[in-house]
Amino acid sequence: MRAFGYEIDELVVAHVLLAVVPVLLGLVVALPLGWWAHRSPVARRVLVPLSGALYTIPSLALIVVIPVVLGTPILSPLNVGLTLTIYTVALLVRSVAEALDAVPDTVTTAAVAVGYRPAGLLLGVQLPLAVPVLTAGVRVASVSSFSLVTVGALVGIDSLGTLMTSGFEQAYPLMVAAGVVGSVALAFLFDALWLGLGRGLTPWSRAGV
Amino acid sequence: MPPAEPGGLHVIEFRDVGKRFADGTVGLESLSLTAREGEITALVGPSGCGKTTSLRTVNRMVEPTSGSVHLDGRDVADADPAQLRLGIGYVIQQAGLFPHRRVIDNVATVPVLQGLSRREARSRAAAVLERVGLDGALAQRWPAQLSGGQQQRVGVARALAGDAPVLLMDEPFSAVDPVVRVELQDELLRLQAELGKTILFVTHDIDEAIRLGDRVAVLRVGGRLAQFAPPAELLAHPADGFVTEFVGRDRGYRRLGFVEAGALPLVDLPTRRDGGADPPGEWTVLLDGAERPVAWLAPDGGRHDLGSVYTTDAGDGVQEGAGTLRGALDAALSSPARCGVAVDAEGRYRGGVAADDVLALLEREPAR
Ligand SMILES: Nc1ncnc2c1ncn2[C@@H]1O[C@H](COP(=O)(O)OP(=O)(O)OP(=O)(O)O)[C@@H](O)[C@H]1O
Ligand SMILES: [Mg+2]
Repeated sequence: MRAFGYEIDELVVAHVLLAVVPVLLGLVVALPLGWWAHRSPVARRVLVPLSGALYTIPSLALIVVIPVVLGTPILSPLNVGLTLTIYTVALLVRSVAEALDAVPDTVTTAAVAVGYRPAGLLLGVQLPLAVPVLTAGVRVASVSSFSLVTVGALVGIDSLGTLMTSGFEQAYPLMVAAGVVGSVALAFLFDALWLGLGRGLTPWSRAGV
Repeated sequence: MPPAEPGGLHVIEFRDVGKRFADGTVGLESLSLTAREGEITALVGPSGCGKTTSLRTVNRMVEPTSGSVHLDGRDVADADPAQLRLGIGYVIQQAGLFPHRRVIDNVATVPVLQGLSRREARSRAAAVLERVGLDGALAQRWPAQLSGGQQQRVGVARALAGDAPVLLMDEPFSAVDPVVRVELQDELLRLQAELGKTILFVTHDIDEAIRLGDRVAVLRVGGRLAQFAPPAELLAHPADGFVTEFVGRDRGYRRLGFVEAGALPLVDLPTRRDGGADPPGEWTVLLDGAERPVAWLAPDGGRHDLGSVYTTDAGDGVQEGAGTLRGALDAALSSPARCGVAVDAEGRYRGGVAADDVLALLEREPAR
């Protein structure tokens, strides 16, 4: 589909990939860090404020600094992807730790008592029970990621943000509006997806209601 | 106080077990105790006296800082903790069920961890659920859809599903109402009569300890053993003021629950098989077609509740039972006619129980 001089479907695909892949990668990185913070009070005192601080770095600054530090090409989508991954990690380390904290002690104690080893305990009991709190964290990270992707357009990385930046340049409000509405709609769509996924994984959480 | 006699294999043995936690709190000073094979050993004591701590040294959820715990003669410190725990059933207060697994899969947890296929584990779980008296229809529910009492039953089933010879139970029935608690206690006694596990049962309720324990260990703060004895002995001869205080009121009366009534003479009572229109003129037992007592008829013909009924068969005579002096005396005292009704094991009328006869038997008991 072509509009405003752009292939809109390509922009949408780029937007989604650039927003979602970092959320998934960030989750993978945040899981062990969050687990560590959950286990060790010392780790928590370092990791949680540190990740909070990461989130306060302006996104544009990160997008520009990453190629300098890592030597990636200045126009590579990788810079945006990495930035968003860092934000996701920053948001989720705390979420993961809190999601694991929320698993009732009686349940983990019972699991240890019946003979679970640490890995089985984490995968078989703690993580499944952490899903409701974790889903809430992932939804925040996802919404944040979908809106931050558009910043990449400022340094020439295509997404629906491109419609906004070039709409501005061309003083074409409809084009800007299309970019805004499109990226908001995508953010909502994926928010609903995470919500549905979280529910699907936790049929037990609605039992007895 | 050492156990009275060594009989049987000593299954769980605490040897001078001490535990000082990282923060300096002394959980246990030096506990020495042997829980015998096939018996329920009740650990009872005030809050914070180290009951949970001592239980957890058995499956290595707590490592002693001094002394050792032996299971079947082997120091548990030499065992792999997870492997050790697969062989020890554990029932936790509040059941501690896995909220994300259906009842059947909660119970199948241990068999699965032991390496059974999910199918085999589920069929084992279904059998155990039946054994603890849970309706098969509950198997597919989530734990949140069960009552507290049902959850505790599932907790017991989960602990039994691994076929472990040893069970650790930490205040398993303290969160349910008194009626359900008694049901669960009866259920445990029935299961234990079938299974003969070695059970360490923690409770802060002395009545529960006395009801369930073959032996009762009364602990003071710091896990110091105040007395370790069979319940009747504990009621008859509390070792010191602490135990006396802990055992509480009415211990003389409660002790009667452990004395077999044996040769209690029964008196003849007037009986009737139909309510009739005419007042009987004296207290009369109304029987149904199967000779079972249904009610008292007052002299004026009014119907009254039977009160508690005395069952003449003494059962195994070890546990508190109906065939005890307590059961007999209670039947006499709770009857509106001043005389209790005695039945046989099938519930058929056998005769009357007079309080005087019970007291006369009591006088022949050896002096306490
Ligand atoms: N992990 C721990 N760290 C420090 N102190 C602890 C720890 N666990 C238990 N304690 C302390 O050890 C003592 C014994 O605790 P324990 O839990 O064994 O008591 P309990 O007899 O089971 O009490 P309750 O009837 O209240 O369950 C208490 O003073 C308790 O505060
Ligand atoms: Mg306790």
